[in-house]
Amino acid sequence: MQKFSFNRRLVIIIVCVIVSFALMTVSVTIRNKKSTPPLIQQFGNDIVGFVDRVVAIPTNGLSGSVSSLSELLNTYQENQQLKKQVSELAQTKVRDQTLAKENKQLKKEISLNNSLTDYSAVTAAVITRTPSSWQNQVVINKGSSAGIVKDMPVMSGSGLIGRVAEVNKTNSKVELITDNNDTANRFAVQITTKSGSTVNGVLSGYKSTTGQITMNNITTKAKINKGDKVVTSGLGGVTPKGLYVGKVAKASGDDYGLSTKLYITPATDLSDLNIVTVAVTKQ
Amino acid sequence: MYRLSKLRFGFPVGLFLMLLIDGAISQVFSVHMFRAPTAMVSHLVVLWLVCGAIFEADSSAFEMPLARWAAVAGVIFDLYYTGIFGIYIFIFPVVIYLTRLMVAYIRPNFLSGLLIYFIDITVVEALGYVASRAIHLNDMAGSTFLVNTLGPTLAFNLAMFVLLYFPIRWVYNWLK
Repeated sequence: MQKFSFNRRLVIIIVCVIVSFALMTVSVTIRNKKSTPPLIQQFGNDIVGFVDRVVAIPTNGLSGSVSSLSELLNTYQENQQLKKQVSELAQTKVRDQTLAKENKQLKKEISLNNSLTDYSAVTAAVITRTPSSWQNQVVINKGSSAGIVKDMPVMSGSGLIGRVAEVNKTNSKVELITDNNDTANRFAVQITTKSGSTVNGVLSGYKSTTGQITMNNITTKAKINKGDKVVTSGLGGVTPKGLYVGKVAKASGDDYGLSTKLYITPATDLSDLNIVTVAVTKQ
Repeated sequence: MYRLSKLRFGFPVGLFLMLLIDGAISQVFSVHMFRAPTAMVSHLVVLWLVCGAIFEADSSAFEMPLARWAAVAGVIFDLYYTGIFGIYIFIFPVVIYLTRLMVAYIRPNFLSGLLIYFIDITVVEALGYVASRAIHLNDMAGSTFLVNTLGPTLAFNLAMFVLLYFPIRWVYNWLK
């Protein structure tokens, strides 16, 4: 009898492990292939997301008031610095507007409707973050009803922070570039060097010890300097052209000495996200 | 007497609240908790479950359907937080099973509860690591996991246990 119960327990454990792996494989496949999760999952996520907002609003409000108190201390210095920047920004903005207008007119003349740089921004608030050390994911409060589609790039502050990994009706999950799984952070980017040549490539990972994005397999002869700006190239997929990723921190030979490997300092602090912007492209 | 007590509704509400607070803490304190390369993961939902198992053994008056609720919490965790179904739905009931096994040997109190919770958090993190390694969600080496994730996570959660053990016991007694 003792032996029987031991065998039964073993069978249960093995069945559980097999079922677990089957479920994981299926959901990873769905996540990679389908544009939306199954309807039941969407429905459940919408309900949980709705309840979560009730919890998230007071806690986020609390943290907002605490951080505003602590920020009060260095407000004066910051104000001085920002004033200088504002005067420069106004000039840039006016020029930007003029150029955008001109660009629009020119596009009209050659009857070009959409180019790679066109996108509209959808602003969303971060509801919650996945409590997990390897899945760097946040849940935002806009979903497919706001026009968000899987794989769209997400920005915060001045730079790119990740891409939409799962879309429900009223919320969606954003996978940050700090996530190191097989499908995360592969963005097509380009670097314009000081000499004016353009280098194309794909982001390949994130180095958590230094907090830098890595970019592998660059076989160009062009000299890439520290401080060169990295932007998305808009090639292959829904990412528009010209989203700021970061600056080159270091260029070195890769492990085999055949190609160049770049380390990029991200433009924004990737651990402190409250409001994000989803770049919605027309497809 | 579980059927008649307030716990019948209070327990799931607390469980769900803890699950959501986990995410809220991770979001609000993300600068401190997820400062590269280390990561502290909040597991308040496990604390609520383990406390349930400890107080259940302590009073020995009633039994709660803990494993079932653990599985429900696991389903919500998988669908809402990670998006990968099939990891925590099994891990949380395993934790309940383990805790009940240990509680049968050791008479639970604050200190032995701390030890039990230590083992539970280690199991949760280790199983989660193995599962996510198996489906290529991370590429962390085992030693890196021990130093950068398990260590800080244990520290954070044990501190949470120390802070919240007596409040949670008070809540359970009030609901009973």
